[in-house]
Amino acid sequence: MKALIKKELSLCLHPTAFVFLTFAALVFVPNYPYEVIFFFSGLSVFFISLAARENGDLTFTCALPVKKRSVPLARIMVVAIFQIALLVLTALCIIVKQSTFPETLLINLAGNSANLAFCGVGALVLGAFNLTFFPLYFSHPNKVGVPFVISSAVQFVLIGILVAIRHFPFYAPLTSPDPENSGVKIVVLLAGLALYCIMTLLAARLSEKKFEKVDL
Amino acid sequence: MTLYALEVEKLKKVYPNFTLDALSFVVEEGQIAGLIGRNGAGKSTTLKSIMRLISSEGSVKVFGNDFFQDESASKELVGYVGGGFRFYPNKALSVIAKTVAEFYPHWDEEAFGRYCKEYALVLSKKVRELSEGMKIKFSLALALSHGARLLILDEPTSGLDPLSREDFCDTLLSLKERGVAVLFSTHITSDLMRVADKIIYLSDGSLLSDEPLDELIDRYRLKIFTSLSEAKAARAIGVKAVKDGFEGLVTDPFGGRKATLDEIMIHLECAKKERT
Repeated sequence: MKALIKKELSLCLHPTAFVFLTFAALVFVPNYPYEVIFFFSGLSVFFISLAARENGDLTFTCALPVKKRSVPLARIMVVAIFQIALLVLTALCIIVKQSTFPETLLINLAGNSANLAFCGVGALVLGAFNLTFFPLYFSHPNKVGVPFVISSAVQFVLIGILVAIRHFPFYAPLTSPDPENSGVKIVVLLAGLALYCIMTLLAARLSEKKFEKVDL
Repeated sequence: MTLYALEVEKLKKVYPNFTLDALSFVVEEGQIAGLIGRNGAGKSTTLKSIMRLISSEGSVKVFGNDFFQDESASKELVGYVGGGFRFYPNKALSVIAKTVAEFYPHWDEEAFGRYCKEYALVLSKKVRELSEGMKIKFSLALALSHGARLLILDEPTSGLDPLSREDFCDTLLSLKERGVAVLFSTHITSDLMRVADKIIYLSDGSLLSDEPLDELIDRYRLKIFTSLSEAKAARAIGVKAVKDGFEGLVTDPFGGRKATLDEIMIHLECAKKERT
């Protein structure tokens, strides 16, 4: 697995994987739907998969001394590394914002506020992408566009719901600046992270099964 | 019990319009086996099925290891070259080689350097800067540097000029001397005449012949007939009209002239077409 991950990093990464990490800084923009930060992460996965197809990556990899079913897991693990890095960077940007911005700019009117709970929301959006994109992609690795369109649609519906419920009174504690309502925010953060882990693991298992039957 | 380099048993792959039909054959250690057949006969499907690049039924053993049960260990013994090196055109050879080396515990960096020198490969070059011949040589250098004991090559000579093909054949013969077994598919039968020990002949997904090259060549002779009835009377195989009358294969060792591998293929295919 170590060699496979090294191969992913040296031969498969697309520059956008790094570029879109910087989009974590969008949390500094006042009144912006910050959830789209996590859509860009999916876009970089699309570019990686597109480049992999053009480079014949899956055929090349499967001829190496690895189990065919390990190939999707390596790709998903590398993507997860970048997604976790994005969550960490977003959290760091939120800490900086919370400690430097005036309180009036800490409440986001266009979506979830950039606070502790938002990282949980982001993890949920990323997990939903993984669960829809990877099993579809590893069923038909030559059709990169279809899984991306479907997973993006799922992401946008989810983002739409998250932006909409922000305006309901029951959601108000989650839009407050930190450290207010820390208890409920931590619960949302942990639940988001747990769901991310479950959805990503499930994506890996399904992808392995699907990819085993693929004709390259 | 003989330990074969490659043992394929009842390999089957079903597509909507094509079936690779329970193929069984072996390749011995140090043997060069040529896989032949017309376009669409199932050569690439066979090689890809062996490598598990496509899902198929049946059993494949590499030096006694079950390929499906012990996939990683089996692949360590195999060097697979699917045509030229079509992968990562914008990456430098050194980057690819370094990445590949990570997968093989027996990677021999010194041997890789030696092959690169021998094949005049410049490691700072990108894959897209290589000619087809150089791409194949790069694939071979990678395969040989991890100590592959079985090479599986899918039409490795199709993009090569005659001199490069000659070099390639020389390389195969030198590998054979070192005990490396080779299974390679090709349309260029002159290459097989030069290096192959045995021929595995596929037609429409079925095995038409699996025997030593000499035996296959010696079995048939090519005879010209003035009329179709004369050809039928001589029980000629795969009779077809040619410029001077009719031509077919005969098994009479004193009839006609020695047939080439191309001619044997053409007439056996004609005979199969007549039967169906």
